[in-house]
Amino acid sequence: MALLQISEPGQSSAPHQHKLSVGIDLGTTNSLVASVRNGLAETLADEDGEHLLPSVVQYFDAEMAAKLGKNHVVGAKAKQNAVADPHNTIASVKRFMGRGMDDIEESSVYEMLLDDNSTVPRIKTVAGNFSAIEVSADILTHLKTRAEDTLGGDLIGAVITVPAYFDDAQRQATKDAAKLAGLKVLRLINEPTAAAVAYGLDTGQDGIHVIFDLGGGTFDISILRLNKGVFEVMATAGDSALGGDDIDQAISDWLVSELAIKSPLSASLQRQLGEQSRAAKEALSAADKTTIRINSDQNERLEIDLSRTQFNQLISPLIKKTLIPCRRALRDSGIEKDEVIDIVMVGGSTRVPLVREKVEEFFGKTPLTSIDPDRVVAIGAARQADILVGNKPDDEMLLLDVLPLSLGLETMGGLVEKVIHRNTTIPVARAQDFTTFKDGQTAMAVHVLQGEREMVSDCRSLARFELRGIPPMVAGAARIRVTFQVDADGLLSVSAKEETSGVESSIQVKPSYGLSDNEIEQMLKESLSHAQEDVDARKLAEQQVEADRVIEGVNSALKTDSEQLLSAQELEEIQLSLQELATCRQGSDEIAIKQAIEKVEQVTSLYAQRRMDVNVQMALSGQKVDDFEE
Amino acid sequence: MLENYFELLGLPVDYNVDLPVLNANYLEVQRSVHPDKFANSSDLERRLSVQKAAQINDALQTLKNPLKRAVYQLSLSGVELKDNETAMDPEFLMQQMELREKLAAVKQRDDPFEALDKMLADVEATLKGYQHLLGQLFSNANEEALQKAKNTVLKMQFLSRLQEECLNLEEELANEF
Repeated sequence: MALLQISEPGQSSAPHQHKLSVGIDLGTTNSLVASVRNGLAETLADEDGEHLLPSVVQYFDAEMAAKLGKNHVVGAKAKQNAVADPHNTIASVKRFMGRGMDDIEESSVYEMLLDDNSTVPRIKTVAGNFSAIEVSADILTHLKTRAEDTLGGDLIGAVITVPAYFDDAQRQATKDAAKLAGLKVLRLINEPTAAAVAYGLDTGQDGIHVIFDLGGGTFDISILRLNKGVFEVMATAGDSALGGDDIDQAISDWLVSELAIKSPLSASLQRQLGEQSRAAKEALSAADKTTIRINSDQNERLEIDLSRTQFNQLISPLIKKTLIPCRRALRDSGIEKDEVIDIVMVGGSTRVPLVREKVEEFFGKTPLTSIDPDRVVAIGAARQADILVGNKPDDEMLLLDVLPLSLGLETMGGLVEKVIHRNTTIPVARAQDFTTFKDGQTAMAVHVLQGEREMVSDCRSLARFELRGIPPMVAGAARIRVTFQVDADGLLSVSAKEETSGVESSIQVKPSYGLSDNEIEQMLKESLSHAQEDVDARKLAEQQVEADRVIEGVNSALKTDSEQLLSAQELEEIQLSLQELATCRQGSDEIAIKQAIEKVEQVTSLYAQRRMDVNVQMALSGQKVDDFEE
Repeated sequence: MLENYFELLGLPVDYNVDLPVLNANYLEVQRSVHPDKFANSSDLERRLSVQKAAQINDALQTLKNPLKRAVYQLSLSGVELKDNETAMDPEFLMQQMELREKLAAVKQRDDPFEALDKMLADVEATLKGYQHLLGQLFSNANEEALQKAKNTVLKMQFLSRLQEECLNLEEELANEF
């Protein structure tokens, strides 16, 4: 029975009250939600005591939806129906996040289509056509509800994990899914880093750690240095299309050939083959042999034995593929294999004995498997969420992660010029100067790609950024400084300024494989039962929460150092703008609140910069004191 | 609000950088401005923290790497390297051509990995020699020393590219087996 607690959405509680936050592992095969309660990070279970939520969503037609009160179901119940209802039961949707139609291999189980004006493929179901983002949002909503029911209150925010090797489009898609689910994302963190957090804090060992993360659909390897609570990722590499699903596919393909199953295979048979393959794989982790049984489309009962030896042969090429990123990461980090203290195995697929064998062979050390590879990511994320939301102001933990793939610009002749190199610590900002080539030119476009290759065709197109509002000048006279910034979530943003006039360009982003702002808006409306009213109510609530944050932030700053850093006039200006904001906040004019917030930002901008510089100076003088003490 | 990278990380402007001190200072400074400290703060603070953290990261990357540090220190003294500028020293260029030919022949050898290891060790030794020299030149800081420093940096750039190519080949060969 859930605890009932009356609390206002998003209201910042009294300073010392525990703020509710969660860590979410949105996995290809299974998802989990975890939270820190009474100082302990633990995964949260459903009413049946199950912690793992299969990342499967089944959609229903209007008639069924009316009976159930909603058009879909998430988890074990959906998974049970996968074979019976293959077109409407969506599994492993993570493989479609941030991907376009051309990326999707002949996925003959789902019917994929492209709506007009969208670059995002949609899966056709009886309930409608849904993008991977919307399906993921349904999974996130389910986890959010589980968390709020268990914890007895509204969540302030969540840390959501992504594979380290996810590109910008895949990360943005994850953030969009969270937005649709009404979840505030405190941070996107990389799955190996989250595992390191869960693991590192438990054993307290400083040094170099390797995280080998083989999940359902993705493979990551990260090399981290842990030093007094600071997790520094030195390098990361991987394959965002290699995982347990591929192992299952190898077995399925073998079954089709050994059992002489004729194509075309029905969708239902394909799902059955997938399920039986997965079951066989899992059985072979302990047993030397397993029997696989299939009901063919002609209703024949087929049976065949698969030995561990045969299985190893089938998957050996896949395991070899994982060693290539291992070498790349070692090289990029400059670490030698013998400097590694331990190798942590993460992800259900690391239970496969051949994987453990090959990893041990490569690193010359027995990998660690003591921590439940299914839960460790969510637990690490929960710990970080607890810190980010402000429950542990004295905690010294710091995560310094890296950009996994180089970012570049398209230049003449279909070439890509790298602007930010892979494995650069984030946040990172780089500027590139451009000029105009026509007299009076007021706009230009920049095509950004991600990848290591030299040709545009071999890299991943991220987006086209259209810069507008360049002051008209003679060709070649303008100096447009375009700044590429990757934030702590690994997401790119672009700003541009014409240097001679100081005019900032307006930027319009056209993602190559993502949702436009309009599309998200539309989806939000569709997901809320009273559409426009609810969207407006949500927007108002968000502005009010932000207003509270701003007021609290500025007031607490003023208490600390207004005398040292502000003139009497500046202080008065700031206090006036805060009063104005406080007044607007009490009302329900969302736009007025937004404008009042902007005014406060304007008058506190220099103050905020000064404070940031003071932070740096204080950190350094703290260091100097330590020097003396030695 | 332009501070130089040495100041930002609490170091004197000196080519000879104490790496442990640099790393320790970096961690402390990053702790105080990193976006993780502002995850639940206002939009303005979050934006500023991302910018500051990015600047601190750039400072570390520049000062940690002997070549980038040298280029940076040259720019602080007003000496800029043009895009396609190369070292003019003919003896040096000849040496570089020989090394490149050697690298191209490595694949055919019976002992490619050993040959690569040796090449890398030689390149590293030469680079260390240049770093030592730069330490002295930068502390002189007169016009002549700066020009010599510039030439040394141009040579370092050549060798660094060669080092990259050796490492690329090593990785390529390892993936083939």
